[in-house]
Amino acid sequence: MNTSSDKPLALIIEDDPDAATIFSEALKAAGFEVEVIATGDRALERLSITQPVLIVLDMHLPNVAGPDILRYIRSDDQLKEAKVIIATADPRIADELENQATLALLKPISFSQLRDMASRLK
Amino acid sequence: MKKIINELLTIPSTDADDARRRKLLNILLMGMAVLALLTLSAALIVDTADVTYLFFISPAMLVLIAALFAINRYVSGPVASTLFVLVFTIAIAFADEPEQVVNGRSVFLFTIPILMASVILRPWASFVVAGLSGLVISALAIVELDHGVLYFHAIPVPTLLGFFAFALVAWLSARSLEQALVDLRILNRELDQRVVERTRDLAEALSRNQAILEGIADGVVVFDNHGTATVANPAMTSIADIPYEEIVGQDIHVLIAGDVNEEDQEIIYDLVRNSIMISPRLKFEWGKKTLSATFAPVRDNVGKRTGTVAVFRDFTREAELERLKSTFVSRVSHELRTPLNAIIGYADMLRERVYGPVTDDQQQALDRVTVNARRQLGIVNDLLDQAQIEAGTIKLRVEPFATADLIEDVMGILSVLAQSKDLELAHHIEADVPKSLPGDPQRLQQVLINLIDNAIKFTTQGSVHVRLYRPNPSHWAIEVSDTGCGIPLEAQSYIFDPFQQVDNSTTRKHTGSGLGLAIVKQLVQLMEGEVAVKSKVGQGSIFTVVLPLVPMQIQEEPHEH
Repeated sequence: MNTSSDKPLALIIEDDPDAATIFSEALKAAGFEVEVIATGDRALERLSITQPVLIVLDMHLPNVAGPDILRYIRSDDQLKEAKVIIATADPRIADELENQATLALLKPISFSQLRDMASRLK
Repeated sequence: MKKIINELLTIPSTDADDARRRKLLNILLMGMAVLALLTLSAALIVDTADVTYLFFISPAMLVLIAALFAINRYVSGPVASTLFVLVFTIAIAFADEPEQVVNGRSVFLFTIPILMASVILRPWASFVVAGLSGLVISALAIVELDHGVLYFHAIPVPTLLGFFAFALVAWLSARSLEQALVDLRILNRELDQRVVERTRDLAEALSRNQAILEGIADGVVVFDNHGTATVANPAMTSIADIPYEEIVGQDIHVLIAGDVNEEDQEIIYDLVRNSIMISPRLKFEWGKKTLSATFAPVRDNVGKRTGTVAVFRDFTREAELERLKSTFVSRVSHELRTPLNAIIGYADMLRERVYGPVTDDQQQALDRVTVNARRQLGIVNDLLDQAQIEAGTIKLRVEPFATADLIEDVMGILSVLAQSKDLELAHHIEADVPKSLPGDPQRLQQVLINLIDNAIKFTTQGSVHVRLYRPNPSHWAIEVSDTGCGIPLEAQSYIFDPFQQVDNSTTRKHTGSGLGLAIVKQLVQLMEGEVAVKSKVGQGSIFTVVLPLVPMQIQEEPHEH
């Protein structure tokens, strides 16, 4: 792991590898150090020891669901400052969780859209 | 005592008239016996020489009565009656001085056997006895033996005539009595017959109804006005999984308590108690089953409400299928969209030079990849929306939204498409349209996108205009007008049907699922609105969506607080 990097850390919690690739390229282009996690339980583990600046959170995840992870992030003091972009295909979920997250984006999320949003959140 | 006397007097006979006459004779005989006993008692008390003869006559009478009684009971009614009348007539003839019998105080006594004959024999027997009495008094009148000297007198014609006149009256009354009895018997027989027929009809109807009730696959329960189950069919016992004995006689509250959630319980109580007309179908969970139920009032033949009939249908399988279909649609939706999103995403990254420089040809190829992938994504979305609408799983989320935001979001999405075709895309919100409107912004956006996308698709040059206005005080409207090819009049009736596009050549030129307008129409209907089209071939089309300013979902809300 590159610990010497001075780039801010972004965590992508997304089980679909293609979407994860697109997100990660967009965040890299926006100037983030990126780490991808594919399952909900792994995400909780990782979140307990790191404090990412930005979290891109998919709502449909194996093991632990997206809304539960969002609740965990919002209840954890260490993660209070973290910016959260939720990514979902369901407009209802996006609407419901909009005020708990920094941003709610409707899938499909394009490379350029996420890149531009993320650079503003840095 | 009364019963014993009645049994003693009644003689069983297959002929009702015979039985009646024999009983009457028995009554007369009993009367006579009582008279004889009284006479005997009186003679015993007085006990003078004048009445000594009674000591012989009264017992003789009793013996005679007993004999007649025996004959009446065991031999023949008519024989006993004839003998009785004869004996009675002769007894009268010799009971007094001959001149008293013929023309004095005893002559009226002959009316008794005449009358008796008409009722205990036949009506016409009164004439026979009148004749007999006439003969007796004539004989007594003509021949008078007085102290050994025989006198002859004239026949007492007026008395004889009197006898026959009396016989006529006796005959008439006895005859009309018998006729009345005959009529009554016929009436009774007809009544009996009718009772038998009605009973049979009723039994048939009941068994037919019972057969229908038992053959029905739906559970049927009839409740009275107090909510107590009075009738249930076998299907109900299997649907509710409760034995028949525990349904009938049970109160509706007890019947569904525990197995049905409280909210549904309340609705069911209400429907059982107050079903005025046939209620809409209610769907609810009963234990592990999903049931649907309808309730209708039961009325008697004067229209008075006597209870409620509830018909329950086991909906478990259908509910499960609905759930599976819904799960399937959302699964397929995910599986179909994900790869398309990946294609669009990678093409986007290539175009954004994430993987290095791109030549102009490659750039163009990437654009084609994106356009086609997006088109397919659009079709997939339409199909899934249509499937959801058909399954009834689309629910509107009505909330206030900013009118301008709705329009501007949509313009932002579609302006690129309009520019690519060199079309003017403009919008205008009339001043009287509220700044905030109630509705489901997601679905309204979908309606707008479909209409505008459609307008752009069928317009080669000119413009697409979107206007929001108030057609009347209680509604607002969206109008999308274009300068496109227009829609022939005959096609305007079916363009809102699923999978329809105007003629094949157009379909080939203008791609799409053919679902856009169908989805618009169904969504607008869900929003309690209406969509209409006005168009002229070659001049363009105007689509208008009219929506209520206060939808029902909003109107109902204050009641909940």
